[in-house]
Amino acid sequence: MLRLSGVGRRYGLRGPWVLRGVDLGIRAGALIRVQGGNGTGKSTLLRLLAGVDAPSEGRLTQRPRTAFVPERFPAALPFTAVGYLTHLARVHGLARGAAGRSAERWLERFGAGGHARTPLSELSKGGSQKVAVAQALLADPELLVLDEAWTGLDVPARAELDRAVAERTAAGGSVVFVDHDPRRLADVADETYAVVGGGLERRTEPPGPEGAGPRGPVVVIVAQGPPGAALPAPVAAVAVGVGAGGAAGATRLTVPESRSDLVLRELLTARVPWHVVRVEEPGAVPSPTSAPAAEEGTSR
Amino acid sequence: MTALLRYQAALLARSQRWLAPVILYAVFLGVGVQSGQPVLDSLAYAAAVLLPVAAWLVRICAGSEPPAARACTAAAAGPARAHLAALLTAFLAAVALGVTAVLVVTAVSDAASTNARLSVPRLPAGAAGLLAMLVSALLGTAVGALTSRPLLRSAGKAVPAMLLGALLLLVTTGSPAKSVLTDLTTGSRDGTVPVPWGAVLAALAVAVAAFWSACALSSRRG
Repeated sequence: MLRLSGVGRRYGLRGPWVLRGVDLGIRAGALIRVQGGNGTGKSTLLRLLAGVDAPSEGRLTQRPRTAFVPERFPAALPFTAVGYLTHLARVHGLARGAAGRSAERWLERFGAGGHARTPLSELSKGGSQKVAVAQALLADPELLVLDEAWTGLDVPARAELDRAVAERTAAGGSVVFVDHDPRRLADVADETYAVVGGGLERRTEPPGPEGAGPRGPVVVIVAQGPPGAALPAPVAAVAVGVGAGGAAGATRLTVPESRSDLVLRELLTARVPWHVVRVEEPGAVPSPTSAPAAEEGTSR
Repeated sequence: MTALLRYQAALLARSQRWLAPVILYAVFLGVGVQSGQPVLDSLAYAAAVLLPVAAWLVRICAGSEPPAARACTAAAAGPARAHLAALLTAFLAAVALGVTAVLVVTAVSDAASTNARLSVPRLPAGAAGLLAMLVSALLGTAVGALTSRPLLRSAGKAVPAMLLGALLLLVTTGSPAKSVLTDLTTGSRDGTVPVPWGAVLAALAVAVAAFWSACALSSRRG
C-alpha cells in the first residue's frame, strides 16, 4: 500500500520545513493513529497522505483509492446533502445507480436520512460533518484519512464512525486518523505515531509476524457454520482466536469487543448464513495488555 | 473525468455565479451588434468580448468549491484532475456562450462586406466566427487559469492581472486572438471569409501549456 520515502513539506519556496524526512509504510488493514500538539504538522501529514498536497521533497508511491475527511467542513455548496454525496460517489468511481444508493445508505447510517433533501447550506455543524464523513465512506476507499472527523458528530454518529472504521480495516483497507481524544479507538489502533519537531516518531511497536494480539476486551462468539464452510474473510481477518466450540461442528471465535458487531453481521449475512449459538460476555478472556492508551503513547 | 465534469458543471449552474459574466456578455453584444451591420465585423467584436468573459468563467469555476470540499474531491480524484475538470468546465461554458453568440450574430447581421458592395455568405462567415470564438475561449481560459488559484490566490492581484492579460492578448501583435480579429476585419473589408486554423492551433498550444502549469501546481500551492 501507500509508502512515504523521505517526505518533506514546506509552504513557499523558502518557507520553514513543516515536515521533513518522513518514512512510513501503510500496510493493508492497518489502523494508524497520528498524534502531536497543535500546529506540529499533523494536518499537513494527513493532507500528504490523502494526496491533497504534494510533498516538497521525497516521494509517495503506490497510492491506493483514497478518501479524506477534512477538519472542518463548512459546506457552502449549492447542493442537497444527497445530491452532493451522489456527485462525490460518482467522482469516487461508482456507477449512477450505485452512487445514489450509497449516498442514501450512508446518510441513513449516520442518522441524517431525514436531512437527505436539505440544502447543505442549511445543515447544522454536526449535520455538515456527517456529510463530510459520509462522502469519504461512499465507495469503500482503500485508504481512509480522518482529520478530527469525530469532532462535531453526536454520540450515535461517533459510534457509527467507529464501526465504519472497523469495517474498513476488516475489509483490508487502511485508516489513518488524528483525534484530540486519546481514547479514540485506543484498543484497536495498530500503530501510533507522533509528529515531533517536523519528524515522525513511532510510539508503538510494530505488530508481530502473526498480527497484533488482543489489546482490549474481547468477546467470545460460538457459531455453527454450514458443514465444511470456511470463515468469511472479514471474520478471519479480525478474529484473534479460532477454536472448536462445545457442540459438534461449532466454532469458537475470540474477537475484539469493538469488532464484535461486524463479526456477527458478517456471520449472519454470509452467502450461506452461520448460526450464532452463543455470545459470551466481554472480558471472559483476560487480555494480555490492557494499559490505558493515554500512557501507551509516552511510556515506550 | 466525466463524473468530475458533471460535478463541476452542476456547481457552476447551481451557484448562479455564471449570471454576471453571461449578462455582461449579453449587454456588450446588445450594445455593439446591431442588425444589418456587416457579419464579419460583428463576429470579430463578439469574439473579442468573449475572451475576458471566458477568463472570468475560469475564475468562477476554480473557486466554486470551499477549501474543505476541494480537499475531499482532490483526495478522491487527485488534485490535478479535479482542477483540470474545473478549467474544462469553464472552457466548455465559454464555448457554449460563443456558439450561441455566433448563431445570433450571423442571423441578425448583414451578409455583406463593410462597404456593403460585396456579398459575404452567411454559412462560411459563421464557420469563421466559430473558429474565432474557439480561439477566444481557449486564450480566455488560459489567462483565467494563470490568474486564479493556485497561481494567484489574492483577488487584489488576480483580477487586475486577468483583465490586463485579456487586454494584451487582444491588442498585442503576434497573439492568436489579435491575428484572428485582424483576419475577420480585413476579410470584412475585402469581402473574403478567413479560415484561421493557424490561430486555433496556436491558441490550443497556449491553453494546453497554461492548463498544465495550473494543474501541476494545484497540489503544491494549496
